[in-house]
Amino acid sequence: MPDIKVTPLGAGQDVGRSCILVSIGGKNIMLDCGMHMGYNDDRRFPDFSYVTQNGRLTEFLDCVIISHFHLDHCGALPYMSEMVGYDGPIYMTHPTKAICPILLEDFRKITVDKKGETNFFTSQMIKDCMKKVVPLNLHQTVQVDEELEIKAYYAGHVLGAAMFQIKVGLESVVYTGDYNMTPDRHLGAAWIDKCRPDILISESTYATTIRDSKRCRERDFLKKVHETVERGGKVLIPVFALGRAQELCILLETFWERMNLKAPIYFSTGLTEKANHYYKLFITWTNQKIRKTFVQRNMFEFKHIKAFDRSYADNPGPMVVFATPGMLHAGQSLQIFKKWAGNEKNMLIMPGYCVQGTVGHKILNGQKKLEMEGRATLEVKLQVEYMSFSAHADAKGIMQLIRMAEPRNMLLVHGEAKKMEFLKDKIEQEFSISCYMPANGETTTVVTNPSVPVDISLNLLKREMALGGPLPDAKRPRTMHGTLIMKDNSLRLVSPEQALKELGLSEHQLRFTCRVQLHDPHSDTDTLGRIYTHLKSVLKSYSIQHVPDGTVIVESIVIKVTASAEEPNLKVVLLSWSYQDEELGSFLSTLLKKGLPS
Amino acid sequence: MDISSDESDDWFMESLNTYKDLHVFQLEHPTKVIEWTGDKNICVAGYTGARSEILELLLPLKLYAGENQGLCAERDFKVQHGGFSEEPIESLIHIPGTRCVVTSGSFSTTLQIWDIGGDDSDVIKKTGVINLKSTSAKGSKIAPGLTDEPAVLHGSCISEVQLTEIATGRVLYTVAKESSDSVSGLQFVNACVFLICASDGSLLMGDTRDPSTCHYPLEDSKSDLHWAFGLRTDGSQSEPSCCTVARLSSSGHMLLSDLRNVQRPFCQTQLNVQHNTSENDFLNVCWAPVLDRCLSVSGFDGTVHIYNTMNWSTEGQSPQPVFSHRGHEMSDEAKYSGSLPVVTIHSWHQSRPKTVLSAATDGSLHVWDWVDKITDR
Repeated sequence: MPDIKVTPLGAGQDVGRSCILVSIGGKNIMLDCGMHMGYNDDRRFPDFSYVTQNGRLTEFLDCVIISHFHLDHCGALPYMSEMVGYDGPIYMTHPTKAICPILLEDFRKITVDKKGETNFFTSQMIKDCMKKVVPLNLHQTVQVDEELEIKAYYAGHVLGAAMFQIKVGLESVVYTGDYNMTPDRHLGAAWIDKCRPDILISESTYATTIRDSKRCRERDFLKKVHETVERGGKVLIPVFALGRAQELCILLETFWERMNLKAPIYFSTGLTEKANHYYKLFITWTNQKIRKTFVQRNMFEFKHIKAFDRSYADNPGPMVVFATPGMLHAGQSLQIFKKWAGNEKNMLIMPGYCVQGTVGHKILNGQKKLEMEGRATLEVKLQVEYMSFSAHADAKGIMQLIRMAEPRNMLLVHGEAKKMEFLKDKIEQEFSISCYMPANGETTTVVTNPSVPVDISLNLLKREMALGGPLPDAKRPRTMHGTLIMKDNSLRLVSPEQALKELGLSEHQLRFTCRVQLHDPHSDTDTLGRIYTHLKSVLKSYSIQHVPDGTVIVESIVIKVTASAEEPNLKVVLLSWSYQDEELGSFLSTLLKKGLPS
Repeated sequence: MDISSDESDDWFMESLNTYKDLHVFQLEHPTKVIEWTGDKNICVAGYTGARSEILELLLPLKLYAGENQGLCAERDFKVQHGGFSEEPIESLIHIPGTRCVVTSGSFSTTLQIWDIGGDDSDVIKKTGVINLKSTSAKGSKIAPGLTDEPAVLHGSCISEVQLTEIATGRVLYTVAKESSDSVSGLQFVNACVFLICASDGSLLMGDTRDPSTCHYPLEDSKSDLHWAFGLRTDGSQSEPSCCTVARLSSSGHMLLSDLRNVQRPFCQTQLNVQHNTSENDFLNVCWAPVLDRCLSVSGFDGTVHIYNTMNWSTEGQSPQPVFSHRGHEMSDEAKYSGSLPVVTIHSWHQSRPKTVLSAATDGSLHVWDWVDKITDR
């Protein structure tokens, strides 16, 4: 039976290292190649030895697919391709391809330059790795090779995030990566057509949560900013150039306008240039509203939000500043932070996740004293707010996606099976499909029953009809004879003559012969005559000929009679028939063995 | 009535000042039960489908982070346990000190007993049933007993009210009053004394050591009204004298009585609420567990009103609520769906003074910590 095998190599519940191997129709695909952000040792990368113990990755894998630019989905990519060794194609969307190397380089700097780790990938490795990337567009079917094709669907979540359909012949798998079923201020909701994959592989990090509304997250953000500004404090919002920054700017701009607030809002200049660049490139990936706005004006032409100059940080009075980088590990955001950290009236709002070793990470862990360069310590007195704006599908979102794609099987990765029994039951009962939750390194095998379509030639069908009998009932199976030609990825059933013609073969006749001994005291001619009469009475609807040369012919079957040399009363009946009349031939030989009626 | 986009936006902007915390969730199926199973956990259950889910949810941890609230980004509900019921869930109660809940539904002739499970599994399992005298459990109201042996007081009409031991199914007590009046609510005052409110607003006080009950009918009862009640007690060993009972009619009439003199309410008033619902299924009145003499009402529309009864005069005009939660009718969902949701149930947090949970017919579930304009400013 054909089957599909899925083996997760990643780990972790929170910010895991997504990496899943799929074997489908003889092809091996790696889905995501993420890094675990909580570890410094081997555990941070997926366990590639699962594959490499049997040979090189390049030989084993037909392709690697990356769903989006977050490091828990692409962080191990340069390690895999350049250090473990993989030279095959890596597929990702255009925005992911543009943003992924920036994040990898940022992360490399933190790990190697700040934390002094060795045995890590280099800048050059990131570049070499990215050379292996093949970018693709949404809904574009990409033929990886003759049999394997992949297609990207919109996943929401972050700019460029995609879900992937992987198809070999009639079998298919959909991998969701991270996705979001509700639109936000700058991205739309995930969408997929009713593609009925054999397996839908979904992230399940948020499978057991009921998400608080976006609106309330925004409300908290505005409340904190407003409170700080009202008491004359300064608000620092470290952001990554893309994504949340735009969303939060749109939000603050609207709020300032409505509340008629006067405190200045700034964004660091590097941010706008970068962001505008990418938004221009990837405007089709954002939601309708942003697309419309973008036609009218630049993403960063706000009424209340102005470009920041480093001298402004010392200005008295309240202000709000968006600055890069998002994890406070270097650059402008860190400079401003150092200036403002000592004042308890100020506020730091961290709108995203911070990797270990960054100032952002330390602060989010509640550290109040930071060691800076030159032995100086920085006391953190300002208020810190950690706000997650991450857009993930929760339990309801997963159910929505299943309803959309109508998979035959469901597979949840990255969750604790023990805590997801209820969800598994729910999916299995509501959709009458199986739901799997393999642990890392554990393989799930799903047997597929692909129906194989065969084209039948018109001639063959006409001949079948000409043979008489009732016309075929569409709902009942019916046996047909013909020649099956498997050629050019298709199956055709044609008449033997046509097959011979197409294949340039000559026809061979296959005949069976058989001798039957009969005790019959008559002459040979009389015996043949008696056989003729007997057959006439048994085979009423057949044409039976008695030919003068001493043979009886029924269809293609030829019957002759000779006397035995030793015993005159023993007659030898010779039967010969063609392969096509095998059934009738066998019947006649059996009939004659029983003897003739006296 | 439609809520315009502007009105909704105005409310949202105002919410920055009117709520300390506000969390808005959307359940897959609406619930009309919110039952506390621990300090941080609640049970909800569907009442609309033939197959319904019972969920035990962990409240957003951000609410419990105390001084470090800013560093806690966890603002989602976690589904800790879930189970399937073969019937819509009408009522659900938790037996204090156990992992056991008892439900009544609209189809079967029994009460269902469930184990909501521990750390080893996330599945809520049915562990037993309580057979009932009558042929239908529809409308059966349930209250947990306050004795050491887990038991429930339950019944759909007065004459059927009985106390049943959960472990054995043994009937420990039966009300000896012939009355087919349907039960609107019932609750234990202390280990032995209990109170039943009938749909027509009359009250019955009983004692499990004595089959006879005291009946307190309303002086001028109107037959087309439906009543709900809320009982304020001071812990499990309350003396009836410390208890105040609030009765609310489907027309918004409110009666407050002291259990020492149930027959004569010490306060009567008419709330300024919409009352066009004759058969009010969601009528709900609750006393705040921490705030003194504060009570909340819902079930008339998409609003939960909170009143301070301290300054209610005995025969005054309509009292003004100290707070109204309009979140359910101001949601994006309500804006687009055409019909306004009605609040199905609300429940006060047991220890956070001003935190309330409320659910509505559209499946919304809100957790809100309101600001008292007078005292919190």
